[in-house]
Amino acid sequence: MDKTSIRMGARSVVAAFVLALAFALACALPSGAFALTTGSATAKPNEDGGSSVIGGLPTRLTWEATADKGDSVESVELVLPEGGSFDSSTTKITTLKGLERSKVEGEATPQGNKLTVKFSEPLVDGYLIRLEITDMHFPSEGGSVVVGGTYVSNGETKQLQDSAPIETIPNTLVQGIVNWLDHQPWVQAWNSNQFLGMFFKPQLIVTSLFSLLPGWFVCLGIVIASYPFAVVLGLVFALMKVSRFKLLRAIAIVYINVLRGTPLFLQIYIVFFGLPMMNINIDNVILGIIVMAVNSSAYLAEIFRAGIESIPAGQYEAASSLGMGHLQTMVNIILPQTVRRVIPTVTSDFITAFKDTSLLSSVGVMELMMFSKNLTSITGNMTPYVTAGIFYLIVTLPLIKVVTVIEKRIARSERGSGPRPKAKTAVAKEEVADAV
Amino acid sequence: MSGMSRRQFLKGSALFASGLGTLAIFGCAGNSSSSAASSSASASSAAAASGEYKLVVPGKLTCISNLYFPPFESMDDKTGEPVGFDIDMSKALAEHMGLEVNWKPSQAFDSLVPAIKAGGTADIAIAGMTITDERKQEVDMSDPYVDSNQSIVTKKGSTETKESLNAAGKKIAVQAGTTGEDWAKEHLPAAAAKDGIVPLDDIIAAMTGVQTGSYDALVTDLPVASYQIKNSFSDLQVLEPIATGEQYGIAVSKDNPALTKAINEALAKMEQDGTRAQIEKTWFGSELK
Repeated sequence: MDKTSIRMGARSVVAAFVLALAFALACALPSGAFALTTGSATAKPNEDGGSSVIGGLPTRLTWEATADKGDSVESVELVLPEGGSFDSSTTKITTLKGLERSKVEGEATPQGNKLTVKFSEPLVDGYLIRLEITDMHFPSEGGSVVVGGTYVSNGETKQLQDSAPIETIPNTLVQGIVNWLDHQPWVQAWNSNQFLGMFFKPQLIVTSLFSLLPGWFVCLGIVIASYPFAVVLGLVFALMKVSRFKLLRAIAIVYINVLRGTPLFLQIYIVFFGLPMMNINIDNVILGIIVMAVNSSAYLAEIFRAGIESIPAGQYEAASSLGMGHLQTMVNIILPQTVRRVIPTVTSDFITAFKDTSLLSSVGVMELMMFSKNLTSITGNMTPYVTAGIFYLIVTLPLIKVVTVIEKRIARSERGSGPRPKAKTAVAKEEVADAV
Repeated sequence: MSGMSRRQFLKGSALFASGLGTLAIFGCAGNSSSSAASSSASASSAAAASGEYKLVVPGKLTCISNLYFPPFESMDDKTGEPVGFDIDMSKALAEHMGLEVNWKPSQAFDSLVPAIKAGGTADIAIAGMTITDERKQEVDMSDPYVDSNQSIVTKKGSTETKESLNAAGKKIAVQAGTTGEDWAKEHLPAAAAKDGIVPLDDIIAAMTGVQTGSYDALVTDLPVASYQIKNSFSDLQVLEPIATGEQYGIAVSKDNPALTKAINEALAKMEQDGTRAQIEKTWFGSELK
């Protein structure tokens, strides 16, 4: 390559750079230099417990635009596609200069799919207009909605830039039920009682039953995934604790006592904020499984240890008289009996562990309590927590029943379960009854 | 098998936060009658003069808030007493109304409006709470006393932008029940659709989470973000201030319109006599606006 071609090359690079710069500038600046720039148009999700915008139901549209050089905006008219409506909406008008509120006010007049906002004084360069239109409706068939319209600047009516499309969906079945409930007199009467309305609002029970479901699965998933690990870990530490070696015993004692002696809440915080700090980034749910497994293992270790120690010393002696070693005795004689004895307590611990997954909501795991909290924070109503309670009970009540049944069975087999003679008094009473 | 202690005791610390709203509703309904007679003479006469508003504890303006929102409200490191802009405002309010101030322990932000609505726990919630239509449906809001905006906060040097955060798989922490949460859900729908907007109990947990990399960003009120970054979380930055022009108000039960009126009058007085400006100077170094 000779000198000239290098120079040519350099020149064309410069030319391309200038062109690119001009293009970037053209993009950065609003297309028409004298235009009210639509900043954004967004809608508040109105699906109870969801994140979608449903058409045909009241929602809130937030529309923002910035006045540009040469602008003197007197009024703005927003237009929704056919089927959308601003009727019976209320509009909060905020005008800002930078981050500071300005004194300019406005007045909004909704009419069908149009909304006109007149300002108390014209808005010039740099002013941000922010309209929050509450209780407006998007077209009920759903789809991408573009907010357009016109504005008046310097006495001239100009076209507004179309907003970025807002995705909306048609009404859902759940929302349909909720709307039906909204109009039932008995529901209104029920909700007018402050306590019932706050904790047992029928509409929210319906929506939360559906929207809490994924959280319930996450809870179940976490506890079911963590428990096998907890059982294995627990068994290891239980055996360490009853071991003959001092060091193993010491390790097990420290492990069990530290974990049982500190709140699960604290352990969750340490794992969730500690591990990422060491650049270990694991999915929240997996972290949850780890914490629950480690925490449960300490309790299970104690349960297993007590189970092992509850086997009478005679069994060890009998085993050793048969010539069995320590390990053989443990595996063949002691542990099988232990398993049966600890099943009720382990089940109770499982119940506790299942309920304890709720603590994971404090660090953002999307489990049952998190969903409820979410819904409560949106609605300002406690009903989602009550629904969450129902979800917990669906799991815990049958398990509690299982524990009772097993406990009874064990008690019966341990005391021998032959037929018992009837109590004497009862027999005597029967005789008296016969005589009369 | 007696040594198998259970662990119900663990529950307390964490469920405390989320359940407190529930407890609070039941908790203190009876207080008002028990200590009825013993309010100070000056207070009761002033209260009587300014209308027939009801107070949970006679002679006292009982306040609730979420005390993890500095500089508006936080707890003193040493004493655990509530301190902050809103606390000073509440004291000045009470003074102007001839009352004493009575602060309750911190509770989750999203439980404040339900607690005020249910009544019996506190007279007012003063918690850097933006006046919104939704809240006004549940409770009365006083006249605005502070202007605020939102902000997106990330780790210093983060390459995120407002646009890049709106993607599936991004995690954005917010405080449950706040306008920041609303903003994130509305403006970052792609993240929200995949449960990417994570509502937490307080903003400190959100900031710690962004610091440690658990979340990509957080959305909260600009004054709080600036204050916290300046004072405690120096490795975070305000990625972008979001002009919303929102205004804070004080939440009062709808059953107590006389109290709302009295508070608005006191706020107006504090505006005139410079009390509010003084408090702003204390907490923000200069007068706002």
